[in-house]
Amino acid sequence: MFGLKRKHLKQPGVMGIYSRLDDALNAVRAAREKKFTVGTVYSPTPRHEIREALGLEELSSVKLFTLFGGLIGIVFGIGLTVYTTMQWKFIVSGKPPIPVVPTVIVAFEFCILFAILFNLAGMLIKTRLPSLRLPEYYDPRWTEDRFGVVVLCSDADREQVSGILRESGAEEVHEIRG
Amino acid sequence: MDTLTYSKINQDVLRTLDPPDRTYVRLVAVLFAGIVMGALCWAYQIRTGMGVAGIKHPVAWGVYLVSFVFWVGIAHSGTLISAILYLFRASWRTSIARSAEAMTVFAVATAGLFPLIHLGRVWIVYWILPYPNQRNLWPNFQSPLVFDVIAISTYLTVSFLFWYTGLLPDLAVVRDNSKGIRRRIYGILSLGWTGTHIRWRHHGTAYLFFAALATPLVVSVHSVVSWDFALGIVPGWHSTIFAPYFVAGAIHSGLAMVITLLIPLRHIYRFEHIITMRILENLAKTIILTGLIVAYAYGVEFFIAWYGGNIVERDTFIWRAVGYYAPEFWMMIVFNTIVPLAFLFKKYRTSLTSLFVICILVNIGMWCERYVIILSSVAHEFDPYSWGIYRPTWVELGIVTGSFCLFFFLFMLFVKFLPSVSITEVKEALPPPTRQYEEHPRCSD
Repeated sequence: MFGLKRKHLKQPGVMGIYSRLDDALNAVRAAREKKFTVGTVYSPTPRHEIREALGLEELSSVKLFTLFGGLIGIVFGIGLTVYTTMQWKFIVSGKPPIPVVPTVIVAFEFCILFAILFNLAGMLIKTRLPSLRLPEYYDPRWTEDRFGVVVLCSDADREQVSGILRESGAEEVHEIRG
Repeated sequence: MDTLTYSKINQDVLRTLDPPDRTYVRLVAVLFAGIVMGALCWAYQIRTGMGVAGIKHPVAWGVYLVSFVFWVGIAHSGTLISAILYLFRASWRTSIARSAEAMTVFAVATAGLFPLIHLGRVWIVYWILPYPNQRNLWPNFQSPLVFDVIAISTYLTVSFLFWYTGLLPDLAVVRDNSKGIRRRIYGILSLGWTGTHIRWRHHGTAYLFFAALATPLVVSVHSVVSWDFALGIVPGWHSTIFAPYFVAGAIHSGLAMVITLLIPLRHIYRFEHIITMRILENLAKTIILTGLIVAYAYGVEFFIAWYGGNIVERDTFIWRAVGYYAPEFWMMIVFNTIVPLAFLFKKYRTSLTSLFVICILVNIGMWCERYVIILSSVAHEFDPYSWGIYRPTWVELGIVTGSFCLFFFLFMLFVKFLPSVSITEVKEALPPPTRQYEEHPRCSD
């Protein structure tokens, strides 16, 4: 729903709010070392340090949507040109009825168009957008200058996780009910 | 940008969305009146017929097509700044990428109007689209005009989606700092964006591919526009240099328009610390490069006209320089190639007045370039019997003026209702808030 993986949506956890990136990163690393699942890290701007701390690759699977869209676009462009030409089969100046060079131009434009549309669709699907309800614990400061770290845990581990977040420099620590 | 913080960027950009003052309202009203005037001229043309436009034999492509090429060209530098410089990791582009990309969208939308106006019976424009029909008639995919339909509509779609995708996180910033109906509207527009690491990662990947795909697209679009001319055998048009020549010219005019828009934006909203002089200087340096490429293309055209041995081609080029369209020709040469050389001197590329004036001149020069290329060739073709002169009528000038009003009107609305500087990208370019940065701000850069 709000950027969390589906399996994490209903799980309880603890959330820490940070004013410094390095503190938030320390929290992520410490939680992962203790084998807790870091559900989400909120940041006002994309930071590669967060992705690296979570052990994620730079490019997401959106790239596959883009590739697939581009290939469909090429096939569509060539198919449309060839199909419409074959309806009449005019031979002009002794040239073959299916024009190769103009077909490449049409195929190229459709390749870009379809790749972009699939790229966007891939992003919307993977980010689960649009999602018009914000999480109950959402903090508007995350789009300004604060970082948020949500660690998923059971009620029994709540105290331990809160301790980890505080020790790493959290300004505030809140519980999240599942 | 040393004194900037994440919070300050939010404040500065959100301040631009405050209720407008009287000057803004008056300016928007004047621009709206210009649009109405252009629309009335178009309505008069539709009601009376294409005879009210100056286009007639032998010049069938007048200022409507001149304006079409001009506006498509203006669009190009937006993609250069937002996509090509993004791929090159040129961090100085971050604060101007949003407004440049908005300029692209508005310029392509304005450009797209002109073929419709030029066609006359605009209500049957869908005939040019490929769709199954009873008589099994299809567009001729060997025609550059059909390439153009596909390329321009693809470019408009891609530019808009690229711009909107980049806007999503910033719309969420506006949402989080608004109340009531405003919060609701920006909430819907932001699609419920929250800056989770998962969303940033997918967004970043999608944005990278937007940039990677927009880059070859932007080159192809103006190449296709140039083939509208180059694939004809008209002297002055039938040239293999046209594609790179048009692409360079497009970026030349587009960069000039970006500076023309940025200088008032920077001044009105006190963005001096975000849109720094270094950024304007870099744009001015790029204009020197594009100006030199355009100068080279002008030179090669004349050289080949002489060296190629085609007397019609040679006569067309001589006529351009000394004939009826000579004033526009020399404005094109001086404004596009000689005037921008002033930017070789630091004094001129760091002065707002000279930057603004030179960029306005480049814009005029690039409009003249399209005017000269399109009109002078068909006005002075192979057969002296069919030579003729074209001058735009008041109807055409009214519509062209309306198009400028439409472009600036859309840009004015944009700067008042949407974040005109990319909040997240400017933050990304800053050193992140860390303990190390707080202790040693200089070492962390």
